Amino acid sequence: MARRTTNFRLPPSVIGLMDLGRLSRELQAIDEFVVQASVRQAGKQPDLPRTSRNLDWLAKDNGFNLLLDVDRQRLGAFLDAVRIQAPVIHMSFATTDPSAAFLQKMITWFRAEIHPLMLIQTGLQPGLAAGCIVRTANKYFDLSLRKRFDQNKQVLIDKLHEGSVTSGG
Amino acid sequence: MQLGSLVLVIGVVALGAGCAIALVVRPHKTKNRLSKRQPKTEEKIYTDTAERDIEHIFNNEFREELRNRGRLHFEKIIGENAMFLQQDLRLTTSQLNDYMKQEITKTLKDEFAKYEQSIMDAKQLAIDSIAKTQTAIEEQREMLGKQLEEQVAIEKQQLISRFEQNMAEIINHYVVAAIGDQIDLNDQLEYILSDLETNKEAILEDINNGT
Repeated sequence: MARRTTNFRLPPSVIGLMDLGRLSRELQAIDEFVVQASVRQAGKQPDLPRTSRNLDWLAKDNGFNLLLDVDRQRLGAFLDAVRIQAPVIHMSFATTDPSAAFLQKMITWFRAEIHPLMLIQTGLQPGLAAGCIVRTANKYFDLSLRKRFDQNKQVLIDKLHEGSVTSGG
Repeated sequence: MQLGSLVLVIGVVALGAGCAIALVVRPHKTKNRLSKRQPKTEEKIYTDTAERDIEHIFNNEFREELRNRGRLHFEKIIGENAMFLQQDLRLTTSQLNDYMKQEITKTLKDEFAKYEQSIMDAKQLAIDSIAKTQTAIEEQREMLGKQLEEQVAIEKQQLISRFEQNMAEIINHYVVAAIGDQIDLNDQLEYILSDLETNKEAILEDINNGT
């Protein structure tokens, strides 16, 4: 399955596991619609569920026709495989909710540089002034401004001892 | 007063002597006439005459006069003596007052001198004690100053060390408090991506191992 999933592409707007779950539910709704449509009575046409841009984008990018059972099954299997196998990276920011555009840029970089099916799970670290903290399965990367300060602490200490840093009264 | 008494006594003696002479001369003439007839009764006659004349001279009035004079003289003497005594008493009192004044003044001077000396000694003692105390305080102050300076230096060094150790945290906290709500994630994108690029190999390795 892993070999097969590498042929698929996830749209940048699909960022985390919640987005995958939402796509799976939409796909399931379409399946139910098709089943209902096949057993419908005359004059009782069920409403076609509205699909999100993510699902449309996913189907379009990967060449699936959502009206075909085979494609829907393949897409469902793909989503299940992604949910199970896709690497998830945890990123903590100083703000509660990073913007969608920011996350899309981040996930674009990750999928281009690290893994094409990479997913991001966001978290909150109020103590971060800027930057982020990245956690993978086994590693911890502090990319915050605090870490940068800590790395360049000696520079500031030297400046303080030289007296070149004065109060800005 | 004594002169008057003397004159009176002399007068009385002269009067008595005159009377005695008269009695002697007259009985002598009588004696001369009678001696022949009663030589043994002449003495008796003279004695009787003298007793009679004595009674006549020293009668009650004369005695009362003498008594009055003696009383007056005695009163005068007593008065004079009283005056003398009063003068002596006044003089003695005055002298005694002067003596007492001198003695009291002398005693007071001595006592004041001693008191002044005691005060001077106490003052000197207090000055010495104050000087010693001031010296001790000065030494204590210098010692405390040195200790305080050392303590302040140690504390300062500790604060500097602690500040240097936690400098990143302090600055980060200050940045968060000052402009934490003004930092936009979009502005940090390049910074984060550059850090990710730096750690790309490590992330990739961990992802591949995990996968």
